[in-house]
Amino acid sequence: MPKCTINGKEVEVKEGSSIIEAMQVSGDRIAHYCWHPGLSVAGVCRVCMVEIEGNPRVQIACNTAVTEGMKINNTSDKVKDAVKWGLDFHLINHPLDCPICDQAGECGLQDQYMEYGKYDPEMAEPKQKKHKVVDLGPTIVLDSERCILCSRCVRFTEEVSKTNELGIFNRGDRSEIGTHDGMKLDNNYSLNTVDICPVGALTSKDFRFRQRAWYLKDAETICNGCSTGCNVKVYFNKEGFFRVKPTFNEQVNGHWMCDEGRNVYKFVNKEHRLLKAQVKGQGSSWTEMSAGAAAKAAAEVIKAAAADSLALVLTAQYSVEEFEAIVTTFVKDFKSNKIYFWINNKEAFDNFDGLLVRGDKNPNTKGLLKVLEKHGITATWNELSRGLKSGAIKTVVVAAPENQVVFPDFADRVKELSQAQNLIWLQSGQNEALKKLDGNVWLIPMKTFVEKDGTFINHSGLEQKFKKVTLVVSEALTLTEAALLLAGKNLNIHATSANEFLPLNQRLDQVAVEARKKNEFVFKRGNL
Amino acid sequence: MSVMQNNSEKAKWYLPGILGGLWITGKHLVKNLLNRNKMMTLNYPEEKYEYSPRFKGNHVLTVKKDGSLRCTACMLCATNCPAECITITAAEHNNPEVEKFPISYEIDILRCVFCGFCEEACPVDAIRLGPEWQTPALNGSNFIYDINHLAFRPNLKGGIQTHVDDEERHKQGI
Repeated sequence: MPKCTINGKEVEVKEGSSIIEAMQVSGDRIAHYCWHPGLSVAGVCRVCMVEIEGNPRVQIACNTAVTEGMKINNTSDKVKDAVKWGLDFHLINHPLDCPICDQAGECGLQDQYMEYGKYDPEMAEPKQKKHKVVDLGPTIVLDSERCILCSRCVRFTEEVSKTNELGIFNRGDRSEIGTHDGMKLDNNYSLNTVDICPVGALTSKDFRFRQRAWYLKDAETICNGCSTGCNVKVYFNKEGFFRVKPTFNEQVNGHWMCDEGRNVYKFVNKEHRLLKAQVKGQGSSWTEMSAGAAAKAAAEVIKAAAADSLALVLTAQYSVEEFEAIVTTFVKDFKSNKIYFWINNKEAFDNFDGLLVRGDKNPNTKGLLKVLEKHGITATWNELSRGLKSGAIKTVVVAAPENQVVFPDFADRVKELSQAQNLIWLQSGQNEALKKLDGNVWLIPMKTFVEKDGTFINHSGLEQKFKKVTLVVSEALTLTEAALLLAGKNLNIHATSANEFLPLNQRLDQVAVEARKKNEFVFKRGNL
Repeated sequence: MSVMQNNSEKAKWYLPGILGGLWITGKHLVKNLLNRNKMMTLNYPEEKYEYSPRFKGNHVLTVKKDGSLRCTACMLCATNCPAECITITAAEHNNPEVEKFPISYEIDILRCVFCGFCEEACPVDAIRLGPEWQTPALNGSNFIYDINHLAFRPNLKGGIQTHVDDEERHKQGI
């Protein structure tokens, strides 16, 4: 374990680690474009300059190993001068089109420019023109002019995804990133190249131009796309969620995540969500009501039903705490053991692509199995089918999936379950198949994984806790709340009637709806 | 509420006060009749006061020589706006040299405080505060100005062009 001194602080690092890794340990700031902790060392960007005592010249930190007693400094004038000139060379052909660039606000080059930029370039030659808006594949757009040729993306396709689509072509200042002849950058990890791009050269087609980075807040959560349970950051603002990026967790996903997982923000947004509970009786049309009221109404039906005609269908898309709550309610309060596990793609369950993606597209299969085992439940889907056919099961509560994309059998299962006399369907998203249901149906909006605290247990049995990010549909229930309400217990949530205009947090003494309508100008100003 | 009433003897002699007032009015009448150029007032709807060219009135979006918007939808004006009255939706342009452009640009003029921060934030001189300031309207009118109003208003005769154009800038290698 060599010891070294970085900016006057003594640090002990692992054998064979480089200076830049030592600086990550000691917490010293150092700029780096080509170096990435998850990739090999290239040493091409030349901005991570440090001064080592006894060494006449500044050296790059990423490709120099720490030796015993090394004295390193990256705050001296000599280093600053080297960094400044290195940056100026990077900017020779960089268009500095930050206003159009999507990376602005989270760009390494921009940050560095604000700190070390010369602000007055000494380059008199015109800038080298390169290709703009190059379509690299189904997910990514390249802007060669912005590229600083750090080769992170090239190394990513070589080392991590092992698909080798990208390369650097031409020489000198005409060098450009590109795909090999006839190839497209089309693999399931391609969007990681956008994350690791230190400038705005690679941009995601999905996120491109939709929001500026500074309008977004981020929060960490667990991806619910598959049973790997990657640690992710979701980016959102009051208009909804916009993108998902991976965060580092050595045990689970390292630095990466798959492209499929980056779509998990979509079903969370308001336009795909069930905003109000929909209730209908046999032959009548849908009525809208609040989730709490609908759950209360459903509780009456459950109360009247016999214990052996009551069934619960669970999908592995909820947290452990929620499963525990609803299964306990069924076993203890309703005295029913008819709890069934809706498995979406059994044949693909054990698939694994060797990096991250797993065939089990539920985040919490292990968690559900654990809870079912704890309560000694062994019911199979065939029993449910038989029970529905014979009419023994009359009332079914379904905790339906959040991520409907990974449930190809959704419509079929809805059809099968609609044989039940009373169907209490708990779901977060809208679905066409549900609108066609006939019979007594209570369609109750649920919260998604970003709107609640909980725990997911991933494929290897690792428990990962996640925290609530924000609220999208304020009225929606968690499965725990739904379990309480269905059991006839009270819950301290704000239940509002369907037509109330005022938001929940408004005081009663504020201007009433009727009074606001009279003052038409104020009332309608926003949408005339 | 109590009303103070001056019931003194002196207050009953109001005539000197009235005559004094009339004297001042008459003085101004004669002065204005003899020297109409230096009159303090304007016949408002017919005559209008000309403000300095730096006056900050309603916004104008400038256009390029071909008539397209200069705005690149960078959202710096919207970010800088203290009244949060600017809403921009960006979109991808067919021309790769333009790349990003605003598919909608709206200013809620009732929220605007005419501070001119948008003008200062703009890196491409796409938004300016123009000379126009009299924009009264009725209850039902549209106070949210969109691109068509901001850039191609009829009395601007095809919009305001900035003096530096992109092609010239490219020639200079900027």
